[in-house]
Amino acid sequence: AGACETTLKSSDTHPDGYPTVEAVKAMSKSLEERTDGRLCIEIFHSAQLGEEKDTIEQTQFGAIDLNRVSLGPFNNIIEETQIPSLPYIFRSVEHMHTVMDGPIGQEILDAFAEHDLIGLGFYDGGSRSFYNKEKPIKSMEDLKGMKFRVMQSDMFVDMVSALGANATPLPYGEVYSSIQTGVIDGAENNWPSYDTSGHFEVAKYYTLDQHLIVPEVLVMSKKSWDKLSPEDQVAVKAAARDSVPVMRELWVAQEKKSEEKVRAAGSEIITDIDKTPFIEAMKPVYEKYVTSEKLKDMVARIQATE
Amino acid sequence: MISVARVTSVMARVSLWVSGAGLVLMTVLIACQVFWRYVLNDSISWTEPGSVMIMGWFIFLGAAVGIREGYHLSFDILLHVVSHRVKLMLHTTSDIVVIAFGAGMVVYGTQLAINAAPNVLPSLGISGAFDFMPIVAGGVLVVLFSIERIARRMAGMPTARFGETEIED
Amino acid sequence: MELWVLFGTFVVLLLIGTPVAFCLGVSSFATIAYLGLPPVVVFQRMNSGVSVFALMAIPFFIFAGDLMVRGDIARRLVALAGALVGHLRGGLGQVNILASVMFGGVSGSAAADASAVGGLMVPQMKERGYDVDYAVNITVVGSIIALMIPPSHNMIIYSISAGGKISIADLFTAGIIPGAVLALSLMVAAYFVAKSRGYPTEPFPGGRAMLGLLANAVPGLVLVAIIFGGVRSGIFTASESSNIAVVYAMFVTFFVYRSLSWADFVAATMAAVRTTAMVLMVIGCAGAFGWLLAYTRVPASMVMMLKGISDNPIVILLLMNLVLLVLGTFMDMSPLIVITTPIFLPVAVAFGVDPVHFGVILVLNLGIGLCTPPVGAVLFVGCAVGKIPIWQAMRTIWPFYGAAFATLMLVTYIPQLSLWLPAQFH
Ligand code: NA
Ligand code: NA
Repeated sequence: AGACETTLKSSDTHPDGYPTVEAVKAMSKSLEERTDGRLCIEIFHSAQLGEEKDTIEQTQFGAIDLNRVSLGPFNNIIEETQIPSLPYIFRSVEHMHTVMDGPIGQEILDAFAEHDLIGLGFYDGGSRSFYNKEKPIKSMEDLKGMKFRVMQSDMFVDMVSALGANATPLPYGEVYSSIQTGVIDGAENNWPSYDTSGHFEVAKYYTLDQHLIVPEVLVMSKKSWDKLSPEDQVAVKAAARDSVPVMRELWVAQEKKSEEKVRAAGSEIITDIDKTPFIEAMKPVYEKYVTSEKLKDMVARIQATE
Repeated sequence: MISVARVTSVMARVSLWVSGAGLVLMTVLIACQVFWRYVLNDSISWTEPGSVMIMGWFIFLGAAVGIREGYHLSFDILLHVVSHRVKLMLHTTSDIVVIAFGAGMVVYGTQLAINAAPNVLPSLGISGAFDFMPIVAGGVLVVLFSIERIARRMAGMPTARFGETEIED
Repeated sequence: MELWVLFGTFVVLLLIGTPVAFCLGVSSFATIAYLGLPPVVVFQRMNSGVSVFALMAIPFFIFAGDLMVRGDIARRLVALAGALVGHLRGGLGQVNILASVMFGGVSGSAAADASAVGGLMVPQMKERGYDVDYAVNITVVGSIIALMIPPSHNMIIYSISAGGKISIADLFTAGIIPGAVLALSLMVAAYFVAKSRGYPTEPFPGGRAMLGLLANAVPGLVLVAIIFGGVRSGIFTASESSNIAVVYAMFVTFFVYRSLSWADFVAATMAAVRTTAMVLMVIGCAGAFGWLLAYTRVPASMVMMLKGISDNPIVILLLMNLVLLVLGTFMDMSPLIVITTPIFLPVAVAFGVDPVHFGVILVLNLGIGLCTPPVGAVLFVGCAVGKIPIWQAMRTIWPFYGAAFATLMLVTYIPQLSLWLPAQFH
């Protein structure tokens, strides 16, 4: 970004070239065209301005204008964001797209406003599944007593416990050697991370249970938003919308590349599992986290969405 | 001035003891975490964020005491070549700048705490405001101890500096 | 312009004697205000800068080191080193260097090494007729070894400054061979200086006595194995290993050696609190400073500038080494690691240097800076231990600077010295 009048600063923890980073670049281009060069976006990728929890605060305070973040850090702040983070809430990636592109997604975006943020749109975060070094997991029985690394989040710990396995919160960087030495049996993640982390080298059984299909979100600082003219606000929203299909296309390509590489390296991919008992085991988790009537209603509407 | 110095001395000592106790507590917590994970085969999820929070307390309290006891790293080439009077003026300028920063710790630390107050910290289950309390507490002490330095200097009493004087109370 | 505010305020405050942590914090504060951004960011970055689990290894390793010095573990390691190499030319000088290798295996602090090994060796060397400047020179430069041999909390600071994505286990492993090369080149320098000055050698104590000293030092050596083995195998994180080091050091000094009194324990705790609060406050404030560097795109401009000077990695590495050496003479190690890593690492990577290799170069380079005036914490400790003025040490320290610089060049231009050993574990 160079010659435009106002440059919006945008943060992303993913590295350059990652689908979300490329999507915001596409958004910048579209924004520049839509505003006749008044606005464009400068991206700070690779967590240059801090980790997600920190950049969210910076966005709220108006130090940065745009931010691509996961929903996880919002779970304890905005209750609506817990819903797409629930295990097995979406039946498939298509189901997730339908829900998030529709009125429910808009409701969640609107909930950011109370926290000095403007929700602009959702990007894909991929679908997370379990991998381990011991055996192909085909049923809940197989999970019993195994140790999995999860992200530091109460709900993910509860999810793994409800499935009968042990959750071990570990720093991401320690996972590889911890699997290698048997401190844990495995972890869970999406295709590209399973590939780029090298975890497929030590944990070759990848069970596509898709327990989490959590979108990521692009937010804008309310302070920066309020400085824009109404027509520029419209342009920002439209440019963000333009970037979503770009992101999804890149994501699918990246997933496919990772899948091919990992398969070629000898990983065993398990797809023939009956997810029904997994979903049923989530009852206590839903009871614990879906507490208000508003959330219960939202879950029911998602489940009713085709 | 001497009676004020006695009060700040007690405050510094208490802060240091709290910090020391924090270090020992951190040692115990992480030792338990290791023991539970490898011996009892069970993970405790709150020891890590809990110890990180304790670390925050002992860093910012310890750093404030460091102002009083003069154990911060500093660079004093210029101070060797100027006259004693100029040197004292530079010390006071430096203390005033540090006071401004300490005040920033209090004001903006409070702002951060208020902003995070409605959030619940994962694994700990307490308000996000706790994350920023060490900054506020440390900031209060930074301001107090820096004011004490200036007051001491005006009263002709020694102030401590890295690699130079140690203070007596 | 904002960079003038940032660096200008920093330098002015540094010159008037403001503590380094506050120079970083206040200059960031001033720059944020100048840019019209909310100042709250400075304090948020300061807080997040120190709210990192991996940083916990710093208080723990410092605490463990302090317990070992006060609790006699260090003295026993030095005694073993005496038996092993005392009979070589330069006798106690060689012992001093080997003792730094052994002590370096339990501690990551060069200042602790200089006070522990120097405190034991310098008086002995004086007594045996060595000139004090020789004893101090070796103590000072030899203590850089403790930074290279794992554990090294400066490697952890580097890893965190680089975004926490560089494996600490790899950095620890990468430091071993360069540490050994440094020890060897210092031993060679010690040999020639000793020869020209006609220093004595020590008698070889004999196999039996050696076994006794070895047995005495076993608890210290076991700690080396625990720390390195734990981190390397991935069974423990660096923070957990450092915690085990503390618990183990307490256990050995309280119950096995019975050498640590309650008062020693309290003193060690307070010393560790003071040192770590000071180091971590610098790291926290550098978090704010680093945010502004990123925000104003300093690293990217630096890459562009250096690319304009030359596209030859050999030249670029030499330039970076020289800049770091100059900065190292003026500033202390941990603030320099946190300030320079975000600027220089992208440059190094752009020129094809492995981040692990660069970490070793950085730590060794800034380690040399600890031994150079005007700001050299280790030099001060060494001169204090030997009770000589700095200029007296400076007159004769050059062969040892030479050896350290030669090692730096070898480590810079032979990446395998750093990268071969970690590769063996993958
Ligand atoms: Na070491
Ligand atoms: Na120096």
